[in-house]
Amino acid sequence: MLGYFARRLLQGFMSIVGASIVIFTITRLTGDPVVLMLPPEAPPDVIDALRIKLGLDLPLWRQYLIFAGDALQGDFGRSYRWEMPALDLVLDRLPATILLSAVALAFSMAVAIPFGVLSAVNRGGWVDRFGKVFAMAGQAMPNFWVGLLLILIFAIHLDWLPAYGAGTPAHVVMPAIALGWYPVAAQTRIVRSAMLDVLDSDYIRMGRSVGTPEFSLVWKYALRNAAIPLITMLGVYFAAMLGGSFVVEVVFAWPGLGRTVVEALFARDFPVVQAGVLFAAAMFVVANLLVDLSYGIVDPRIRHGR
Amino acid sequence: MVHPRWGAVLALAVAFSGTAFSASAQTKSSLTVALAAESTTMDPAKYSAGVDQYYIGTMFEQLVRPGPDGERMNWLAESWEVLEVDGKPVIDVKIRPGVTFHNGDPLTAADFEFAYERLRDPAVSRWPHYQANVAQFEIVDDLHFKLHFTQGDANYVANWLQLWAIPKAYFEEVGEDEFAQRPIGTGPWKFVSRSVKEELVLDRYEAYWNEEHHPTVDRLIVKIIPEDLTRVAAFRTGDVDWIDSVPPAMIEEVEALDNVATASRVSGNNLFFDMDMTPEDSPFRKLEVRQAVAYGADIDAIIEQVLFGQGQRYVQVGPGETAYDPELKPYPYDPAKAMQLLADAGYPNGFETNCYNLITPREPNIKEMGEAFFAYLSAIGIRCNMKNLEYGAWINVNRRAEDTPQMEGGILSHMWGHGVPGDPGTAWSGHLHSFVPGEGWGSYSHTAGHPEMDEMVEAVNTIMDPDEREAALKEIARKKHELVLGGLTTYRPLVTFAWRADKVEYTPWPHPGFWRNFQEIGLKQD
Repeated sequence: MLGYFARRLLQGFMSIVGASIVIFTITRLTGDPVVLMLPPEAPPDVIDALRIKLGLDLPLWRQYLIFAGDALQGDFGRSYRWEMPALDLVLDRLPATILLSAVALAFSMAVAIPFGVLSAVNRGGWVDRFGKVFAMAGQAMPNFWVGLLLILIFAIHLDWLPAYGAGTPAHVVMPAIALGWYPVAAQTRIVRSAMLDVLDSDYIRMGRSVGTPEFSLVWKYALRNAAIPLITMLGVYFAAMLGGSFVVEVVFAWPGLGRTVVEALFARDFPVVQAGVLFAAAMFVVANLLVDLSYGIVDPRIRHGR
Repeated sequence: MVHPRWGAVLALAVAFSGTAFSASAQTKSSLTVALAAESTTMDPAKYSAGVDQYYIGTMFEQLVRPGPDGERMNWLAESWEVLEVDGKPVIDVKIRPGVTFHNGDPLTAADFEFAYERLRDPAVSRWPHYQANVAQFEIVDDLHFKLHFTQGDANYVANWLQLWAIPKAYFEEVGEDEFAQRPIGTGPWKFVSRSVKEELVLDRYEAYWNEEHHPTVDRLIVKIIPEDLTRVAAFRTGDVDWIDSVPPAMIEEVEALDNVATASRVSGNNLFFDMDMTPEDSPFRKLEVRQAVAYGADIDAIIEQVLFGQGQRYVQVGPGETAYDPELKPYPYDPAKAMQLLADAGYPNGFETNCYNLITPREPNIKEMGEAFFAYLSAIGIRCNMKNLEYGAWINVNRRAEDTPQMEGGILSHMWGHGVPGDPGTAWSGHLHSFVPGEGWGSYSHTAGHPEMDEMVEAVNTIMDPDEREAALKEIARKKHELVLGGLTTYRPLVTFAWRADKVEYTPWPHPGFWRNFQEIGLKQD
């Protein structure tokens, strides 16, 4: 188990190094940040002076080596736009995005698991059919539209929740629902399909024959095995939410990392983009590591190396 | 007895509902406003975009500013004049006595000298070229200084004497980073706190020098809400009392709300369509073709239908700007004449060309506006090979430089703000004067060399006498209009603010450039 963990850790580190090279190169393909930072009438000597100040006059490979060396020491450079350390900006925004993604993921699972289980138990019944329609509706509605709909209902008409911002538990409710809505459909299908397989298995039939209550059979014994495919996907969903929260963050004025990085991308603020993407990559790697480790908790055969 | 687990759930539910209902609660002495965009810096020497000025303008002030009617008024300058010493221009400034910074330090000439030193330093400022013609900053006494110029610099005067009051002693005490984190100026609002991408909190400066024009509410909370619909929703729910940039399509809906007041003002930006005359075989080198473009699109209809009326048509310079000439009339929409002009130019069947459309919403509905304009051109025979461009890509094809690829002929939706109230000098240097490599002229220009026009633009930049300069600018405007050079001018976007009329007393004051510095805002008195 320890060897497996070390191997995965090394793979994760190599993934981050790869991501750093890709993001470093791609950001520079977008064009010269200096012309966006200066007024349009800035003369060439002013443009050149700023380019030299930012180190953009150096060959690309030297720029990368300087960036990588500094990054290993925790220095991601200063934001071109915000005139502050890019790392501070990212770390300041990251908790908000992690919170939003975590609550969104929890919401999607809280909806998907009961729906998936009930759909499987009542295969072909009205719950199953409703679940399919519900899942389809979830995938058909883009999250910005869900967000605006929620604002209209719960902020404007009912006045139950704040329309924007962060800072209290109430603020996270609507953004989390908007962000978590989309994966509900896929998660429901995964749970339903896994439950159908498990419910047909020998040990469940055996359980029934010895008089184990149906509730325990379904929610305790069957769900535990059926959860493995969902857990496998959790890391992917979480990473997708981290990376895909931008639209929801804009709609709800949520002060998260996604909004910061996308705005930085449009402004060619390379240090912020690099720091943000690398942190997102690191989160992705960590989330997948945690998922791998969690198999052992759910399935003792993995824990004991069987 | 409640199980502890359920107790926790109950507590969370109470917290949720409590915070939800307290979210809209405000004390009587504060107002919450929502802006769509956010400043990247609080240091006036480092501002780079117009949005920075919204925020900086609440805390910092300049020597001269526009008043609510758009007229220039002395502000931190008690008086100023342009003199001539040894054949060189000198701006002589006397500072208003009794002005203090938010920490109580008096404002002196040394603070302006410090601001000048920072503004001219390319390691600090984005605008060092604006100080290029200043040879010397001379302090006469604490409230009197002179700026000595190497040559006439009309833009220095047009741009409100450039300098911001920056507290030298405080800055040197705390350092650059701390100053940007906790700025102090002489303005009506003093800094309390800031959370990037969330809010800026300001308190009214009790010892503010201007007893006639100042805010009357104790605290101003500036929220950042970029999404239009969310900003309007926050206003409708009462979370905010004042909002910026009501989207054009929603103005009617907002105006219909109870106890809501709105005001529309020009945004400070000037939009136009430029025609690339630089390729040798460009059809736009022919005056008839440029005139055909001018006659070929119904700009008034576009403003009315695409912009919901949120645009002010202008011809070269807008009403209220320096050198505004009401006698200059826009080309009327006349497609038959446009087609005849194309035929006269040798294009009886029209021609195909690239049409570059800026789609980043730096102004409302700008993408749709471009699409409508280019559709009009197609109707007269100028068939567009449409290229939609995000802002960065738009800069790439638009900016003139020897080492970057250029647009390959065609028409480009373009903008270059003259500011509020407005002066076209800087903009015309950039997009009317032809491109001169290495010298800064024509950095976004697509006119083919027109020596007479170039000379006129260069000359007007050195004229510091306001009347003489206005006359010269008007002459350029007339010629520019007649020759359709430097682009076909279209409209200045309008920005609409909304506030609770039963709660908020608000007078829109323009700051140099824009309208959002809350010089006069307060709670409505019963």
